[in-house]
Parts: sequence; C-alpha cells; structure tokens
Amino acid sequence: MAPSNQFGKRVKLTQIRRPFVIGSTALPFSDSNPRPPGTPDNHTHSWQVFVRGMEDTDITYWLRRVQFKLHESIPNYVRMVEGEPGKPFVVNETGWGEFDITVKLYYVNDSGEKPQTLYHYLRLHPYGRTEEEKLAMVATNGEVRAWSYEEQLFNEPYEAFYQILTTGAVPKGWKPAAGGKGGKGKGKNRAPPPLPAPDSGDVWERTAMIPSANRPGQPFSRETEAAEVKKLSDAQLKTDQMAKQLLAELKKKEEQLAKLKAENAAAVKPS
Amino acid sequence: MASSDVRDVLNLPDGAAGGPRPSKKQKISAPRPNLKGLAREVHNLGGDNPIAIVPEVTQFKKRRFASRKPVARWELRPFQNSGRTDASLTLRHWRRVEEGKQPSSTVGGGEGQAGEDDVPGSKGEEEIEDSSYAKYNVQVSVPQYSDDQYHQVLENPDWTKEETDYLMGLVRDFDIRWPLIWDRYEWSPPATNGEADADGDESKAIVPATRSRSMEDLKARYYEVASRMMAVQKPVQYMTQPEFALHELMAHFNPQQEKLRKDFALNSFGRSREEAREEESLLLEIKRILARSDRFNEERRELYNRLDYPHAEQDINTFKSSTGLQTLLQNLMTADKSKKRKSIMGGEAPTTSGQPTPQQAAPETARRDSAAASTGPRDSAPAAAPAPGNKKAQQQQQQQQQQQQQAQQAQQQQSQPQERKKLTEQEEIIYGVTHHERLGSGPTFRTEKINKLFSHKSNQQQLRITNTLNELDVPAKLAMPTAATTHAFEQLLASVNSLLDARKVTDKIDAEIKLELAKKAEREKAAGLQEEAEKAEDADGDAKDDTAAADEPSKEEDNQGTTEGADPADEEKGDGEDAVPSDEAAAQPSVEQDDDDNDNAADNGKDEELESAAPKRSASVLSNTSDKAAKRQKK
Repeated sequence: MAPSNQFGKRVKLTQIRRPFVIGSTALPFSDSNPRPPGTPDNHTHSWQVFVRGMEDTDITYWLRRVQFKLHESIPNYVRMVEGEPGKPFVVNETGWGEFDITVKLYYVNDSGEKPQTLYHYLRLHPYGRTEEEKLAMVATNGEVRAWSYEEQLFNEPYEAFYQILTTGAVPKGWKPAAGGKGGKGKGKNRAPPPLPAPDSGDVWERTAMIPSANRPGQPFSRETEAAEVKKLSDAQLKTDQMAKQLLAELKKKEEQLAKLKAENAAAVKPS
Repeated sequence: MASSDVRDVLNLPDGAAGGPRPSKKQKISAPRPNLKGLAREVHNLGGDNPIAIVPEVTQFKKRRFASRKPVARWELRPFQNSGRTDASLTLRHWRRVEEGKQPSSTVGGGEGQAGEDDVPGSKGEEEIEDSSYAKYNVQVSVPQYSDDQYHQVLENPDWTKEETDYLMGLVRDFDIRWPLIWDRYEWSPPATNGEADADGDESKAIVPATRSRSMEDLKARYYEVASRMMAVQKPVQYMTQPEFALHELMAHFNPQQEKLRKDFALNSFGRSREEAREEESLLLEIKRILARSDRFNEERRELYNRLDYPHAEQDINTFKSSTGLQTLLQNLMTADKSKKRKSIMGGEAPTTSGQPTPQQAAPETARRDSAAASTGPRDSAPAAAPAPGNKKAQQQQQQQQQQQQQAQQAQQQQSQPQERKKLTEQEEIIYGVTHHERLGSGPTFRTEKINKLFSHKSNQQQLRITNTLNELDVPAKLAMPTAATTHAFEQLLASVNSLLDARKVTDKIDAEIKLELAKKAEREKAAGLQEEAEKAEDADGDAKDDTAAADEPSKEEDNQGTTEGADPADEEKGDGEDAVPSDEAAAQPSVEQDDDDNDNAADNGKDEELESAAPKRSASVLSNTSDKAAKRQKK
C-alpha cells in the first residue's frame, strides 16, 4: 500500500495524458539572420530547443521547470529553465554541430512525481531517408525543424494533482476577470464557459486536446494521427500478407523435407 | 557583650566603668539632624540611615486676614425668569458687585423679600438680568395638527380628537415622561348631550364608560400621531437619514411586544429564589437533551450511511445492456478475486497464532460486542472478542484494534473517491483521463512503450526489425505517438515479429533440406563411381521430383554443361521470391565455388537443387550455408 503523504492517495488505474511538443528549430546565419555579436567564427547556425504545449498552450501548471543538458563544449551547458505561466521552455544558442540534448522535466510540486528524462537530437541540417523528407523538413524561411510530438502520461496521479489536471479548462486566451493577467488563474467572478465537444478542433488551456487539422507551424493534429494510423495499418496488412505467403511456402518446403528425409532413410537402410 | 550592657539590662548601677558610656551616646546623637515633629524613638528606628519622612508641617491656626483686599460688596439685584410664563414677575437676589461698576443706588436694608413692582422703579433703565435657570426650561416639541389634518390622516376608531388633544397636552406638560403621563391620565369623555333639557340638566346625558388606557396604548397613539405628522410635513423620500430612522422607529411601534417585554421583566423580577434555581436547572437539562439528541442524530446518520448501498461512481447506463452486465460481472469477479487474495493474506496471522476463527468465536461474543456493533458490518471479524481468562485476550484485542483501523482506512479509501469530483465522459476525453486494467504509477512518456518493445529485443533482432520496417517504408520512430498510433505500431511490430519468426523457420528448413540433399548427393556419388551415366539420369529425375517448381529448360542446360548458364535464371527466381537479392547474390558465389572445388560433372544436378533452394535464404542463413560449405570442403 502506498504510504499516504501530503499528496493524498494515488488515483488507482487512472492515467492522464498531456500532449506537448519537444523540438529544435535551426536557422543558418545569413543576411536575414545575422550572426549576433560575439559569436565564434566557426558557428554556422542559430538554434533553439524548446518544450511547449500544443498550439502554445500553457503547460506550467504541470511542468515546473526543464533542464536542457547541451553539449559539454558549450559554456554553461546545463540550462535550467524555470516555467513562466503561458510561456514555453526555450533555450536559444548558436553552434555548428548536432548533438543529443538531454531534456529533464521537473513536474510541479503538487504532483509529487520525480523528474523524467527525454532525449532530443539537435538537427541543424535537413535529414531523412529520402530527398522529399529532407525537403519537407525545411520551412519556407530556411529553418530546419526537428519537432516531435510527445505525450506525458501521468499514471495513477495523486489526488491533489488529479484535481489540478482535471479542472480549469478554459478556451485559449480566456481571462478569468477583466483585470486578471494570464490565463492561468481560475475564474472566480466569471464562470468558465461550458466544455466544448471532445471532437471539436479547439485546443483549450489545461486540457489534453489536440487540434483537428494541421496549420502552418502546427504539424501535430488529429489529421496527422489518422494518417499515421493508416500508414501503420497498411504496413501491417502488407506484413501479414508477406507472412502468409511465407507460411505457405514453408508448408511446401516442410513437405519436401519430409520426402527427402524419407528417401534418404530408405536409401540408407538397404545399404 | 560588655559587662556594662549586662548591668544595664539588670538595671544595676554601673560601678567603675562609667567613662565610656556617655561618650558613646554623644557619638550617636551628634550627626543626627534634628528633625522636628518626630519622637526620638522613631528617629532611632532608622539606625544610621536618616528617615526619609518629611514631617508635615501642620498649622492649625491660619492668619485670619490672608489678603488685605477690601471687603467684597454684595448687592440685591432684581432678575426675571424668561422660562416663566408670567414675564412681569421680577424677583431679587444677592449678587457680588463687579469691580468695575459701582452700584448706582444704595440698596435698601438688605431685605430679601420679593416685592412686586418694587425694584423696576429704582433701577428701571438697567436691563434686568435673566435667571440662569431659564435655560433649563425646555419645551418638548409635540406634534401639532389642525382639524383638517386630523381628519385626513389621524382618524382612529379608538381615539376621539378630544382625547388625542388631551393626550398631546399631557405629553407636552410632562415632557414625554410616560410613567407620569400614564399616572395623570384621567380622561373623562365629555357627556354627549343626547337630549339636553332646556335648563341644561345633564343628568340624562350619556356618559361613555371611561376606558383605562395602558401606557402602551398611550405610546402607540402618540407615536402614530407623531410619525404621521412627520410624514405629512416632510414626505418620506425627502427625509434625512436620522429623520427617516426616527420615523421608522415610531411608525413600527408594537404595543403588544412592548407589553410582553414588560410582563416578562415583571415576572422575572417577581420570581422567588427557588423558582430561579429551578429555571436554571431546567435550562441545563434542555441543553443536555439537545446535545444528546444531536449526538444521537449523528450516530443514526452514520448508521444509515453504512447501511446505504454504495453509490455508483460511474454512469450506470453502460450496464443496462446485456453486454454491459456481462462486463460488469467480469469486473466484479476480478475484483472479488483480488479481494479474496487479500483477505487470505490478512487472515494468515490469526490462523498461525492458533486462535479460534472469528466465525466460531462470533456467537459467544456477539452479545458482548453489541456495543461495538456501531462500527458496522465490516467489523464482523473483530467480534472475536477476548474470552474471559484467555491468555491471548490482549493479543486478540490488539488484533481487533488493528482490524478496526484497517476497516477505518478502508472506509477512508471508500469515502475519498466520493469526495473526488466525478468526471463526465466528455470531461474525461478533454482532460485526457483514461482508465486501465493495470498501471504502474508515476509519470511516463508515450514513446517509452515503443522504445521498450525495441529494447527488450536483442541487437540482432532489433536490426532485423528495423530492416523489415524499412522495407515497409515505416520509420521506426512515430511522428505522433498518441494512444491510437502506439497501438497500431504495436500491432505492426507483432506482425513483423511473426513474419521474422516465419522467416527463421523457413531458413532452418532450407538448411535441413540442403543437408538432406547433400546426403543424397554423397550417397549417389558413391554409387555413381560405377555407373556415371545412370547416376546423372537419376539425379535429374530426383531433381524433377523434389522441386515441383523447378523449370525444366534451365535444368537441361545445366546438365549439358555450364553452371554459369543456370545463374541468371536462379537470380531472377530469387528476385521474385525474396526482397533481399543482395544477400542471395552474395550467397551464390560461395556455393558455386564450392561446386567448382568438387569439380564433378555429376554434381551439376545436385548444385541445381542447392541453388534453387538458396533464394529462399535470408542473411541469417548465410553463416549456416558457409558452414556447410566448409564442412563439405573438409570432406
């Protein structure tokens, strides 16, 4: 039995997910992207690595701070970014090489959870298995985007954290009161609007909602998900067919083998 | 102690030692300041320290004429009292004469008698001073009303105008001192002269019975009149705050309540000591009864809660269909199973200590435990109360307590989910809340599951899986790892795995087939040393039999001579059958080299067999075949 502590008990057999985007955006130095003063000569790109919510929604209500561990050659290579309500966790840098960034997520104190680690490979140059994929990576302004969708799963959260995660859904940019700042505070004097239909394409603050269609700069949506599911199921179908064919051949071969064995055995006996 | 002291005490005349004593006395008395008014003994009490008492200098006799001022002069002065109605009355009183002005006229004789119209003549031109008490003659402002106003607003069936006037007069006279007013209130209504005689004899006049008015009645009438007149003079909406408050107060005077209040006060004044004590005790009793009933209600509510059926946490609509009921049954079964296991684990302790099972002990102790029954049906086990004289009584009690605690914890657990807000399905989707059969607690990422699927495999298997995925044009990393895609990916991986397994088995069988063929070839070679031509024919026949799919023309070519001629055909076959032509291509030369080494024309047929099997190999078999080749080379 889990020890009861300040967080209360864990909510059994319950999982709460929160989608977010982790990724990096790199842009080579050029006339439109001049190299900042003091940058070493061998640096070729400016880049940023970030952790943010879907459609830039606030995630600081469950994510307290993020530690980005960059390459050791970079001065001050462990960057701790404290969460500011409504803002993504971002580190901006310049450099010339690609490397693995260790991203450690620290959850809010109410969660009672230990920090978790993710890895992100910084991309400065387009990559992919085909030329198309490489081209797809480069945005119109020459940015190289290596963004990945990720879902944070809170398995059996503590009651207090469960409360935090399952209350306070408001539309984006919705202010609790006229003078209130930030979309974080829960409205006291104004009742929040009724929840939207789950399949509506909106993305609300403090929810696990995903937009229904892609938009420029927001590549992750139900559309993408559905496409991926289709691709996977197609691949599975193909694999199953291959396996079927193979099994048929296998059967044939087994027969052949049995025949051969019998033949050999018969040949050995007389001699 | 000196002998002189002893002598002194004994009151003996001192003999020879007379010298030192007087000197001593002088010493002590010398530094003393001589304070007057204090006895010497009192002084001595202070010892060396002087007493810090400042003696009060008392002077019993003052000098008779401290100031040499001239004698104050007094004069008899007339005065009037403006508070009086009779303004003509002038009285006189003695007053000091101010320094500045001398009395203009000598006052006669000092007579203090009040003489009317006596003084004005003597000092008429001087203004007559007003009495200092005149300011205390304050007149109460009593509402005034005209006849019209009375008829408009002040009509009252109980009161005639005359009586109201009388009341107002009394109020004015006694300055709204209600007890006085009430005391002096003697209204005798005027006799209505029904049929007055000519001579005005009123004996026949009807005299209404005087009604005794209580103080409350008087007050009520007065306040009624006052408030209405206030409203008449100044409409309510224009009143200032204090005016309005006063108006409200007067308009809402409640004589009944006032009467009750007075009666109550009167009663409580009039009760005896015993009555007071009894009342106090009764109050205490009531308090106690209330507290007890509160507690009783609380307990009863608790009991009801306990007896109540558990409230459904989820929407029960899902269970209304037969399939829903089926799933519910299964859920209950699994829950029951887990509970059973738990109860068995919990029940181990009592059985090991060799105590009677709770069920056995229950009947005999049920009576004793009836008090503890309020802890509810969950505590049926603790009914195993200590039997008298039992050594293990204490142990049992402890266990009982533990069990009770467990029950309480269980109740807390039960109650907590109720406290938690239930989420609707819509909310659950929006907040991303899902429920799972099994779940390890703690935060994880969606990709972790797929990563685990990979990391649980060996390196070689991982390589093979990624190769297969590449064939299928599926990246090993999901672009958007959601629940749906992860699920699809898992399924895909499962089928890929089964495909790989099938390939493995195929490879194995291929190898075995090859082995058998090799055996056969050996055998035939041994036999063929004698009859080459025959063997060749045999081999050809065998080949035809064995490989159903083998094509005749290529075989014929083989038999005629060149092994190279067979290769293209084989390769084509391989392309058709397997997606790994490079592996196949790599495998073939070695086999052919092997054949060349053997360098036997009779082997051609056998080689053909080998090669027809070869296309079905994949990379894993490569090592296998090369082993085979090496073995054969050794031979």
